[in-house]
Amino acid sequence: MRMTPRGLAAAALLAVLAAFAHAPAARAGDLLLTGAKPDRLYVIDAARRSVRSEFRIPNAGGLVSSIVASPDGRIAYVLVNRMESISGIDLKTGREVFRADLSTKAERVKDFFAFAITPDGKELVVYELPTKLLPSEYQVEEPRFAVFRTNAGLHARAVRTYPAPRRLHMLLMRPSGKSFYALGFDLYEYDVATGKLLGTRGIRQWDMVGHSQPDLLAFWPVTEPTGVFTSPVISDATSGGATVTKTGLMALDVVADKLEFYDFEDTSALIFSTVLSPDRKFAYGVYSTLTKVDVEHHTLAGRAPLDHTFYSVNIATDGHEIYMGGAMCDVGFYDPATLGKRAILQLPGCGDQSLASLRVIPAR
Amino acid sequence: MSELKPTNKKAELLLAAAAAGQVDEVVAMDSVAGCATTFDPGWEVDAFGGVASLCQPMEADLYGCSDPCWWPAQVPDTMNTYPNWSDGKPSAQNDWRELDAVFPKK
Repeated sequence: MRMTPRGLAAAALLAVLAAFAHAPAARAGDLLLTGAKPDRLYVIDAARRSVRSEFRIPNAGGLVSSIVASPDGRIAYVLVNRMESISGIDLKTGREVFRADLSTKAERVKDFFAFAITPDGKELVVYELPTKLLPSEYQVEEPRFAVFRTNAGLHARAVRTYPAPRRLHMLLMRPSGKSFYALGFDLYEYDVATGKLLGTRGIRQWDMVGHSQPDLLAFWPVTEPTGVFTSPVISDATSGGATVTKTGLMALDVVADKLEFYDFEDTSALIFSTVLSPDRKFAYGVYSTLTKVDVEHHTLAGRAPLDHTFYSVNIATDGHEIYMGGAMCDVGFYDPATLGKRAILQLPGCGDQSLASLRVIPAR
Repeated sequence: MSELKPTNKKAELLLAAAAAGQVDEVVAMDSVAGCATTFDPGWEVDAFGGVASLCQPMEADLYGCSDPCWWPAQVPDTMNTYPNWSDGKPSAQNDWRELDAVFPKK
């Protein structure tokens, strides 16, 4: 049988309709990025609750850690190899297109979770902790920021370095691309081009009256979808002679250059990471429970148990769903209103996500 | 320093160097150990002095502690000292029986 062009078009249309008829009901959604042992990078279609791509990162050394997507969403830069290498993976082909091996014969260099990419996608700023391994001693070198060009291929070398403070664990790029935040004992801001320290604000030396120094565990560099990084903060608050342990939020707006802290409950559950909703009314945190914080009124808005501990939390770009990952080998999809479980996606092979970031790339 | 007496040649050299002001400043070894600078409870006892707020189950937290050398006394440090401890065992919940104890090399 020979089909006319109109017949071919009709058949093609029917084929497309048939394909959609068998697909789960899905809205235009987000892509999630997560990693898992020993060397996997996953791209997950959040709306369909399915793994779109599973890539192997070369020479990952058993650990897939922080993940930072390029601004155009095409490349994922991943900290691997026991925090000694950053690998850039093309998210369409799975090919490694960038590699910076930080250690050399002279130095062992670790990057403790912290790196960031400029808004034009051209440079990576990496926090380096170098150590000389001498025959009878380890010689601790001064920490530094190292800047790499992302078009440097698989043998990238730093194009410039400048001094950095100790004990950093996160870098967050400002939208202008001219400066970046460095989080550690305090919050620092540095010039990308020159490495000049532009300012310091207190974290350890914060100005919360009547509070002890804060304790926070900020390893997950999530600023999507609002441009605000949030982290749970725990401190002892003394008032009227009584001391109570408080859980609060640190909120760092990388767009508006605003840092604030506020308590929301007497500490009653642990929270590892948090994310701010797109409307900025609520924050959600995970550990062994899912916590909802009323950001406007600084109160606990809800809490629900989880199947197991999750390290990292994120949220849909339109706020309709909470995502959680890290620790074990599944990704959770939860209702932000009821905190109820909607779905669990187990990763193929069930490798632990451990400390891998869970990042959201908006559908394009 | 005067209370200490060197018992070998290296200690004598160190004492002499310290007297001459030639000893480097002691700095945090965060890059060597790659480990936590905190000694809070966390592996055996939770922040409330109990166990209910430990990670659930403990296997969920196993590689999250060994990978960044978080509780180096309780969990082998795969960042530096025992890098191959979890090789071939990507899932703590399924592979925990195969994870062995470690001992310092003589």
